[in-house]
Amino acid sequence: MKSTARKLALAILLAVALCALFAPQIAPFPYDQQFRDAPHAAPGGRFLMGTDDIGRDRLSRLLYATRVSLLLAPSAALVSVLLALLISIPGASRWRASAHAISGLTSICLSLPWLFLFIILRAELPLNTAPLASALLTFGLMGIAGWAWPARVFTASIREIRQSGWILQARAAGLRGWRIALVHGWPHLRQIAAAQFRILVPAYILSEASLGLLGLGVADPLPSWGNLLQELQHPDTVRSNPWVLAPLGLLITVMVCLESLQASGKAAV
Amino acid sequence: MIPVLEFNISARYGARAVLHGVRGSIAAGEIVSLVGLSGSGKSTLALALLRLLDYRGGSVTGTILLEGRELTTLSSKEIRAIRGRRIGYVPQSPASALNGKLKVRTLLDETWRAHRAGRPDGDFYSGLLERVQLPGTTDFVQRRSGELSTGQGQRLLIALAIMHQPALLLADEPTSALDAITQAAVLRLFEDLNRRLGTAILFISHDLLSVASLSQRVDILHEGRVVESGTPADIFLHPRHPFTRDLVAAMPRDPLPRES
Repeated sequence: MKSTARKLALAILLAVALCALFAPQIAPFPYDQQFRDAPHAAPGGRFLMGTDDIGRDRLSRLLYATRVSLLLAPSAALVSVLLALLISIPGASRWRASAHAISGLTSICLSLPWLFLFIILRAELPLNTAPLASALLTFGLMGIAGWAWPARVFTASIREIRQSGWILQARAAGLRGWRIALVHGWPHLRQIAAAQFRILVPAYILSEASLGLLGLGVADPLPSWGNLLQELQHPDTVRSNPWVLAPLGLLITVMVCLESLQASGKAAV
Repeated sequence: MIPVLEFNISARYGARAVLHGVRGSIAAGEIVSLVGLSGSGKSTLALALLRLLDYRGGSVTGTILLEGRELTTLSSKEIRAIRGRRIGYVPQSPASALNGKLKVRTLLDETWRAHRAGRPDGDFYSGLLERVQLPGTTDFVQRRSGELSTGQGQRLLIALAIMHQPALLLADEPTSALDAITQAAVLRLFEDLNRRLGTAILFISHDLLSVASLSQRVDILHEGRVVESGTPADIFLHPRHPFTRDLVAAMPRDPLPRES
């Protein structure tokens, strides 16, 4: 039962990832091509999911948006995890001053109101910021801002690993410090880092979607799940074309698949 | 002849003193047991002798002479070169002292590389493993240490400790995680290593009964002090210190239920 759910989740994610990867080949139109003659077109015929208010093909935009969100969220998660690893090494140091400094920095970072910082930052950006730049900036900032939580986990893990009986055994056997860290410690830390990465990816997909809803995410015309969801602010659009809900459906599907993969992954450990 | 190990140390964790001038000496090829209850400072002593106590937040004062060389003044680089090469350490529980993610082969290789370059000759590992009654097969060394039984894990820890033929084995409760039969087998193994390799052994244990039979001398550690020292016969037949008397009196004499 568990493995069936797991396989299904994997298959769905793979399909979504392939669609995202081959978006330029699959999409019937470019994501920013406007059909002035057909705004708010009903689904069917030329436009399978209809068009938006300025006549852009919804299906094409959804495919490209998936590409943006699915590519950038893991990249941002990777940035966070790498930064956290780098920061947690002095944080777990036996040298108290550095441990305290990192701990304080982590606390500050965790208590910052990041949403407001995003709003301020976007306000500072010129209105004509290139869409790609805005996408990279949004996810880049999330990646950089997100180091604190995993860093706290890594710091605690490194301390725990350092106190373990097998590190003591390795020291008593005369192993060099860097060999102990590399051969003994890293396999354990790597597993924890991978788990943090898996937690951050869905969190960042959701964050971008939330930021997009506020108009702070990826800028038009580049589509992302976040800015496609902005349309949900107008219930009339949903009533006339239910496909407006498609990005939300896809987001929920991907999240459920990721969550169930994680749940079954935890059960397997 | 200089003893293999001679020490007189005090140890503390912050303000809490744990060992108060504990003295000891072990001659080449000798087996000495240090017996005490939990909390008496046994493990602290083992870590102090290896100069590993500061990793646990403790500090040591006094002298530790290993083969005539003072260990307390060595740099961390110098002491590393001695750990595992001149003193082997056998910890208590393979469940916590073996890194379960690593293969037996990796543990052997890492222990080798700590003091020697490259890799040993083809059948060195199988010879070493057979010495501790483990299979020296490729199949066995490819297994992860987490998959081994407790008895096998303990034998592997012993193999790692004796790889570089140290002058002294420091065994901290090496059998307390084992069942009675495996415990007896591991104790026989220590005895056999002592006889064949001439390795001196310092047993640190709470179990007077199991270590007494193979020791030439028993030291009784109580509240951070050695309160009594003598041959097993002295300790069993003429215990002097009240704690030793309690310890000896607590041992089972007659395992069968009394008939009424």
